[in-house]
Amino acid sequence: MKKLLKPIEPILSKGFDRVESFIHTHRSVKFLFGSIFGAFEGLVRGTKETTQTQPFIRNNYDVKRFMGAVLVALVIGWVFPAIYFYGWQCVISKLIVSLIIGVFVVDVLWAIIAREEHISEGGFVSCLLVPAILPPQSPLWLTGLGAAFAIIFRNVMGGVGNNLVNPAIFSRLFLTICFPSLLVTGYQTPFVGIPDLHSLRYGLDAVTHATPLTAFKTSGEVASFLSLLFGTAAGSLGETCRLALILSGLWLIKIKVVNWRIPVSYLGSVLVLSVFFSLVMGKTVAPPLFQLMSGGLILGAFFMATDPITATYSQNSKWIFGAGCGFVTVLIRNFTTLPEGVMYSILLMNLLSIPIQSLMVKIKYRI
Amino acid sequence: MYKEKENSWFKGGYNFFDTYPIRFCNIVEKIFSDDMPEIFEFHASVQKIQHVIVNLCPTEPWILPNWVILEHKTAAFLDKLKEIRVRYFPDATIHIGINKNENEHIVETIDYAVSVEWMKVYKLDAKYPQDDPVILAKVILGVDISFNKDTISQGVVILDAQTVSAVYDNCILGNQVNSRFIALSGTGLKENEIINVQLGTSIEKMFKGRFKEGIKYRVFVNGPLRGNEITDLSQRIDWSINNIVALDAMDRNIMFPMFKSNELALTTNILGELRRCIYCNFCDDICPVDLEPALYYHSYGRGEKHKARLYNLGKCIECGLCSFICPSKLELLKIIKECKALDK
Ligand code: SF4
Ligand code: SF4
Repeated sequence: MKKLLKPIEPILSKGFDRVESFIHTHRSVKFLFGSIFGAFEGLVRGTKETTQTQPFIRNNYDVKRFMGAVLVALVIGWVFPAIYFYGWQCVISKLIVSLIIGVFVVDVLWAIIAREEHISEGGFVSCLLVPAILPPQSPLWLTGLGAAFAIIFRNVMGGVGNNLVNPAIFSRLFLTICFPSLLVTGYQTPFVGIPDLHSLRYGLDAVTHATPLTAFKTSGEVASFLSLLFGTAAGSLGETCRLALILSGLWLIKIKVVNWRIPVSYLGSVLVLSVFFSLVMGKTVAPPLFQLMSGGLILGAFFMATDPITATYSQNSKWIFGAGCGFVTVLIRNFTTLPEGVMYSILLMNLLSIPIQSLMVKIKYRI
Repeated sequence: MYKEKENSWFKGGYNFFDTYPIRFCNIVEKIFSDDMPEIFEFHASVQKIQHVIVNLCPTEPWILPNWVILEHKTAAFLDKLKEIRVRYFPDATIHIGINKNENEHIVETIDYAVSVEWMKVYKLDAKYPQDDPVILAKVILGVDISFNKDTISQGVVILDAQTVSAVYDNCILGNQVNSRFIALSGTGLKENEIINVQLGTSIEKMFKGRFKEGIKYRVFVNGPLRGNEITDLSQRIDWSINNIVALDAMDRNIMFPMFKSNELALTTNILGELRRCIYCNFCDDICPVDLEPALYYHSYGRGEKHKARLYNLGKCIECGLCSFICPSKLELLKIIKECKALDK
């Protein structure tokens, strides 16, 4: 790779320099395209800045790599399995719409209008999450709208680093309010078996099927553990193959992008509480293992609750944050009319993260 | 007496030897000063000293390595230590902390220590900042001493190998010591070398012909982590200078930096774009004294510098690891120093 790129380096570098000086000499061009150029340049070219204060050397690890790792994990965790289960026509088209509308239209327009300096890579993560939490049969425009909402919403709150709640979840909440019917139906049975060309392209011909959690709510039917683990039960596009999600989540924990405390406390509290409620109330609540493996819990626990910006900062308060998510999830699933509560629980705990954080800091430092 | 101290490491820290391996050429060149060389002086303290820590565990790869002083004669070095103890610290216990990877030194020191009861040996992990006085005292003696305060007034003397041998030559043998070893290294130099230089020599003379040609370099005294940058090369060498590092400034855009980690390592490039804090917990994971630097950053960002003090700011040993690791490239150490300055 390095050798391959060697000959084009000087040409590219010179090109960048030329475009840069052109942009900086023309104000209107800078106004319109400065941020796009900056974002593109940031992808292929390092920074010029040098350290001015101690320490004078810095680690070769920046936010881009951090987000890049999340992107890789997401692609392995849900995009590949989803292509197998639902066909690439469904998955890739949604991804393209989501990324183009979210990052290349809304974010770029925002950068131009709001004169933001940077279009950051955080948008890719949000736009990769939006299709994952929508039903497989949801129309393309819904995905696009979701991505647009997510990015607008994040930017309104002040951009990556200032967003109080997870933009992807927020936009999904918004869509649920605006188009409830589209988000309640639209779940289909995934394709199972040896894939042929037809299935790889279209998946199984659209047979709608209730998600396991809805099925449990209406008829008390419990899906099998293995079908949930491998993803052959119905669900949102990205949440079905729990095995892949768990593996890529563990990889993120290993490279320290994801803090292990949150998934552990989230999943642990769901397990403990559902065992408790099962013992107390018997068959009216879903069995513990089924609760653990169904719905968006695994996706939420490994990829959304752990978003470092919206979770709490101190290590101790992460335990409370995760346990709170688990508590609210179990409550919503078992004692309300809603079949699934992962999204709302993460949203609620995101909002509560600031008071939790400041309380824990006060306790730790005895202020 | 020999004491295994391997499991009482401190939390956090960073092993720089893995990231920036530096190999020194093992020929030591001698450089003489043009003027009268300065003379090394040692003042024994009047206070009664309980503990002497001899630090044989440098944790930054550019620091003068142990073999330069010990020269495979560890026992001779320990004999010197014995005489120094008799003369200056008769009641003190001598604690020797050795890098646990330097087997030769460890074996010989342990052999020596089993027969005497005033010496204790500790195997230490060479992760930065193990050799900081605060951490050394914490790991070896289990006491908390405060940062930026003279350790002698707190009853602990910390010596490095070179000072031990200079004190011996000067005070016990009565020779004049007017030169010291200095490690020169970094990406701005043709070769990493160790030189024996007379005190008072100018840095410019020392570096003559050693810089790589055609690059922009920056020079740091006592390492790029805790040391200072110097622009005036006519400064003279004194006893406090252990090493000088010259780094390639790398103040230009590099194409495809993701494939060039080797080229970019050990340069002063900031290696990333300045962003907002993303609450990644890297800074508090690496902090050797268990602080949460992002809290200072947020207090500072809100304009409440005085509030930073509430979060144990005084415990910070200014090691700079938080700034080093931060993926958003925030100047945490600078903020910490500003908040500390407010206190006074
Ligand atoms: S390392 Fe930097 S970005 Fe990460 S939490 Fe600390 S200050 Fe924030
Ligand atoms: S500079 Fe201070 S706060 Fe930062 S890592 Fe070192 S001791 Fe911790």
